[in-house]
Amino acid sequence: MRDDLEIRPAEGERDILSELPGELMMWVLIASELLVFGAALIVCLAVRAIDPVKYAADQAMLDQTAGAINTLVLVTSGFCAAVAVRSREREERRKARLWLGAAGALGIVFLIVKGFEYASKASLGIGIETSQFFTFYYLITGFHALHVVAGIVVLALVAWADSVRNMEAAVAFWHMVDLVWVLLFPIIYVLR
Amino acid sequence: MPARYLVEAWVALLVLSAATAALTTMHPEGAGRAIVAGGVLLLAGLKARVILGRYLGLAGSHFWMNAFGLAIGGFLLLSFALYTFGSKG
Repeated sequence: MRDDLEIRPAEGERDILSELPGELMMWVLIASELLVFGAALIVCLAVRAIDPVKYAADQAMLDQTAGAINTLVLVTSGFCAAVAVRSREREERRKARLWLGAAGALGIVFLIVKGFEYASKASLGIGIETSQFFTFYYLITGFHALHVVAGIVVLALVAWADSVRNMEAAVAFWHMVDLVWVLLFPIIYVLR
Repeated sequence: MPARYLVEAWVALLVLSAATAALTTMHPEGAGRAIVAGGVLLLAGLKARVILGRYLGLAGSHFWMNAFGLAIGGFLLLSFALYTFGSKG
């Protein structure tokens, strides 16, 4: 591309988009995901406002301890992923892979805890159609769990194709999964 | 990014999560319930800021940190309004 055809900010003008760290498309994805989860959580709270008694009775059946454990697991996993990027930037590729492995392993722990939670609900005969609350619970936490699965796959991929750019993008996705959980957890599990 | 910076963020997230857990043990009635809910949402907002600023690297851009902060703050305020509206009666 010829330089004189590029659109550049005028002298002294601020290029806001260039202030975003990493890939622009990753930020588009992060913003979209936040909007989707945010909208679902708002609708969930609106459902609560319609029938708070039934909602509270259903919500009381959730395991807050499992949710809290998963919060610790995910924030620690996010830390491991951040250290992996730092190691890769310092050309410590083996170390970076180990940290990515730790992040992914904690992602698996998250899914196991979530699996126990779902199994415990299933053993009580609670499913997605049991009530409006449980429809939202399964849809929102299930969609989030799918993101965790995707994140683990992406972390494994960048442990193999380990350019700094790939790793930064994958880890940004992982932090987004973490970010969604810290907003989802209090609304679904804690606010009673 | 210095390792200390990342460790500080992780510790902050653990402390904020512990504070959330402490708030869940309280079961006040009336206005106290709304205060606890507000505290829980405030802590969620602080956790989100730590992740955005430290892990996602937005701390380097005031504009984007404020933009995401405003969006998440607005979301948490709306959540709080719906929570208090749903807790009436």
